[in-house]
Amino acid sequence: MCANCGFPAAQGHWTDAGAGSAFDRIRGRLQRARILAPVLASYGLTVHDDGSGSGFILANRTGHQVMVNTLSELWEAAERIIGRPVDPLDPRFAGEAPTP
Amino acid sequence: MRLTILGGFLGSGKSTWLRHHLHHGLLRDALVVVNEAADAPVDDALLVGSTRLRVLAGGCACCETRPALVALLRDICDDRVGGDGSAPRIDHIVLETSGLADPGRITDCIVTDRVLQHHIVVGEIIVTVDALHGLGQLRDEDLGRRQIETADRLVVTKVDVAQLERLRRLIATLRVLNPGAALSGSAMGSPTELPDALGGDAETPPVVGAYGAGVPIRAAAIDLGKTLDWPALAVWLSALIHARGDDILRIKGSVRTPRGRILLQSVRKVVQSPEILPDEPVAGDNRDGLLVLIGRRFTAGELVRSLNAFGIGGVAAIEAGAASANVRRPSHEDG
Repeated sequence: MCANCGFPAAQGHWTDAGAGSAFDRIRGRLQRARILAPVLASYGLTVHDDGSGSGFILANRTGHQVMVNTLSELWEAAERIIGRPVDPLDPRFAGEAPTP
Repeated sequence: MRLTILGGFLGSGKSTWLRHHLHHGLLRDALVVVNEAADAPVDDALLVGSTRLRVLAGGCACCETRPALVALLRDICDDRVGGDGSAPRIDHIVLETSGLADPGRITDCIVTDRVLQHHIVVGEIIVTVDALHGLGQLRDEDLGRRQIETADRLVVTKVDVAQLERLRRLIATLRVLNPGAALSGSAMGSPTELPDALGGDAETPPVVGAYGAGVPIRAAAIDLGKTLDWPALAVWLSALIHARGDDILRIKGSVRTPRGRILLQSVRKVVQSPEILPDEPVAGDNRDGLLVLIGRRFTAGELVRSLNAFGIGGVAAIEAGAASANVRRPSHEDG
């Protein structure tokens, strides 16, 4: 419950489920950043999460930066920057040839 | 509170099935909410004998009376939290939808409502399919198909009066449309054996809607292996749902995390908050480390290659025949 407005806070994002302890949570976040880096790099984007704060920072090569709180927000922001969604079934990820 | 959604096409036997189970089965202590598209409720008359019944008439809860459904469910939550303890506590709600409802949209409105999401867990989606008219409805009605695609459990009703050949063809078709769902039969509400679907030719009904017309819906089952990293899978899944949410109709799976096994479920772009499962798989429940995706425009091979590209190794596609054997079997059929 939010003490200011009295509304229940939004539930944690589904991708954050499954962390048993604060340690798991930080470990999960760093792992997430590690997985995201090469995926986003192939679209010219970088992501930064130092484990503190609540979200992470998405940036492109021209220095445009967006702060996002959840993975869903991250994919929406990425789509806005690159003009199309990051698609895991794109041939660069799902194609027959092994991806570098 | 757990919410069981009972859906199915108009006249497919929802109330009959529910009535039988209210008197004999596990649903005996549940609060029943009946939604009817028509203004004059009839179904509640069929369900006398249920001690706790609320009726929502005059519109289908997945569209026009959606606000009324939310208000009613919030009311039930209030009663449960603020009651004086004199009324028996409600732990289970059964929502019988109107025959025109898309259960996926009802799930959607519950998990996105900021009060209900804290009180209600959408458990099983049960969809009844009429053994006499089911095939015809699938041919003509896009809705009938959407209902079947979102089900966790399909109950084929009126088995006692259906021709064997037709029944076999229907079962084979249901297996193709929703290979992940448990399938059982019912006659006048009582559980009945279903004939073997072998020998039945599956029909591929045309998709009526504009989007995805003619593109077949397939299911892919993926064995996630024992050493899965959940944060990595969450990255992959969230990207997939964002980019392909209109094509991926349903995802179900169980994944091991530091907190235990969690049950993942999504209907189109909506992901339910994952549920923690009992730690040891129940006998006959082989879902551990299994992910089932139902939708169009992807193959199991593409999914596996994509998972690997996202740094998730040790995963393998499960052959179509084996997949349906691995997903939840009807665990209890009460009499």
